[in-house]
Amino acid sequence: MTEASLVGLLEATVSFGALLYLAALGEMVAEKAGILNLGVEGMMAMGAVTGFVVALHSGDPWVALLAAVAAGAAVGLLHGFFTVVLGAEQVVSGLSLTILGLGLSAYLGRGSVGRPAGAELVGVDWGPLTDLPWAGPVLFGQSPLVYLAVVAGFATWFVLWRTRLGLAVRAAGESASTADAAGHSVAGIRLAAVAVGGGLAGAAGAYLTLSLTPQWVEGVVAGRGWIAVALVIFGAWRPGRVAIGALLFGLTLALKTRLQTFGVDFSPILLSMLPYLLTVGVLVVISIRSRNRPSPSPAALGIAYRREER
Amino acid sequence: MSRPVLVRREQVLRGGQPLAFGIGLCVALLVGLVLLVGSGHDPLRVYGRMFEASLGDPRAWSVTLNRAVPLGLAGLAVAVAGSMGLWNIGAEGQIMAGAIGAAWIARIGGEWPSPVLITAMLAAAILGGGLLALGPAVARARIGVNEIITTLMLNEVAIRLVQWLVHGRWKDPGSNNFPLAPMLPDNARLPGLFERAHFGVVLAGVVIALFGVAASRTAWGYELRVAGSSGATARYAGISLERKVMTVLILSGGVAGFAGGIELSGAADRITEGLSNGFGFAGIIVAALALMRPSGVAAVALLFGAVQIGGQSIQTMGVSSSVSTILQALILFGAIAAGVLSRYRVEMVAGEATEVTG
Repeated sequence: MTEASLVGLLEATVSFGALLYLAALGEMVAEKAGILNLGVEGMMAMGAVTGFVVALHSGDPWVALLAAVAAGAAVGLLHGFFTVVLGAEQVVSGLSLTILGLGLSAYLGRGSVGRPAGAELVGVDWGPLTDLPWAGPVLFGQSPLVYLAVVAGFATWFVLWRTRLGLAVRAAGESASTADAAGHSVAGIRLAAVAVGGGLAGAAGAYLTLSLTPQWVEGVVAGRGWIAVALVIFGAWRPGRVAIGALLFGLTLALKTRLQTFGVDFSPILLSMLPYLLTVGVLVVISIRSRNRPSPSPAALGIAYRREER
Repeated sequence: MSRPVLVRREQVLRGGQPLAFGIGLCVALLVGLVLLVGSGHDPLRVYGRMFEASLGDPRAWSVTLNRAVPLGLAGLAVAVAGSMGLWNIGAEGQIMAGAIGAAWIARIGGEWPSPVLITAMLAAAILGGGLLALGPAVARARIGVNEIITTLMLNEVAIRLVQWLVHGRWKDPGSNNFPLAPMLPDNARLPGLFERAHFGVVLAGVVIALFGVAASRTAWGYELRVAGSSGATARYAGISLERKVMTVLILSGGVAGFAGGIELSGAADRITEGLSNGFGFAGIIVAALALMRPSGVAAVALLFGAVQIGGQSIQTMGVSSSVSTILQALILFGAIAAGVLSRYRVEMVAGEATEVTG
């Protein structure tokens, strides 16, 4: 194993990790407010296609990113409308959102297949830092979205755990009637949280088509939205632990194409099962431990709230 | 200042679910109309072609029926769990696990008489699907692990298991190094019924009918519904929740596995990583539209089969097949909205957000 290939592995780990982290943070925010959104895969697809198409027409990667965030938030709000306003079953609505997002993105992107990208979010140049051995390429040569993911992680932690607004969001996810009685609008909080979650998923999608592989193909999300859902549980609904999980799962994605070059005789396909199996394992451990202590899962997660039926 | 609130109707509107379903279909067709006009197609011609290709003649019916088989069985799998308030989101993976079981038997039983081989394949398919659901079932029943996430995660595991087999052990030596499993032997194929329809249509119909009877006419079905609506009541009535949760989830996985076996033996040439083809996820929508009732599952599956087959047929007109995917999701969203409005009415109430109403 050469030094260059090891640096390449770490660089890809951080890159994939940030991709997963963006989407997982969004799902975490929604779940913290009590809304399970299994539409991440679809929201990412919408972000990916919107980012790519807008980049084709505008030539500006930042405008494209903004449009992708808006598209993710918009389809997220669709889930919000059905689950929060109409009180529909969150599992069904979320999975339908995935199907809708995959279909709609294929429809919107049908003219863009095979076309070269109109704009890309290229690696940030941090001057002398970027020239450092090891740390340079791994930490200081990444796409701007990697640094955005780090900022989003800190911002999410700060808002959720250090502000009154965050307290209200967490209350909506733990006990909606308590949040309501305290004078907060549960519906408003939940809608906003789902929109933020959709926006972050949209950004993750744009990361795919503006940075990682700057082209549009149907199915570009390739199951990574499900990994984001898994990450939230793996990280026990804490931004820091979700970040660690994102790097770990990012490593498995980065290793997938590199196992053979490292001379490791292990099937990359079996390796790619790992994030899902680890998540099942973590979920079992959480459940066993929560017999004696409170579960990290938001108590009102998945439960519709209608004040009139309290 | 006034705001709209949903107030529960004293009586649910008559004909609620079929009506909601019809409204959902109309909403979907209207949005589809916009998409088609937007991409420069004549919507009436496209819809006409969809209808022709899916329900226009016996041959079209046979193709649609074939497609309704995995959709209906996946929907049944979800509905069996759903009637007890459990979510099996893992039908997609269980279909794969069932197909793996069936394909494995087909590999070792190539010389067996066809009825024996097919029976063994379908039994292995049920076992395979049930086996994939075993972990989530035990974890849910014994330590209360959320089955939504565990079944969802195992989808990805099962799909990769098929990939792994097809890329390795099961790769056909004669496939020019393509990752393809060998074709199924002829005696592993389900017999035909009429036109393109295969015998799986009958098998699926019988299984769905059996569950329909079991759900509505037996003590078992009654206990499920009691357990689903109130755990406390069920315990008081002496129903063992733990065992019920376990058997229902495993049974649900077995039904989805059965779908995988039939799909392999009836419609596919060989096992591929695309075999489950979204049927498991579509099954969740089918079951939700059928309100978790087996009787409704068959009807909804037939309609979804028609939408899918119709959607494939319009590709020759240059219309993206994604239109039919979009239609399926929109039918559900439209039906959810209509379903809610059959149980609630919208009222404008005056006052601030903190005031309690109703």
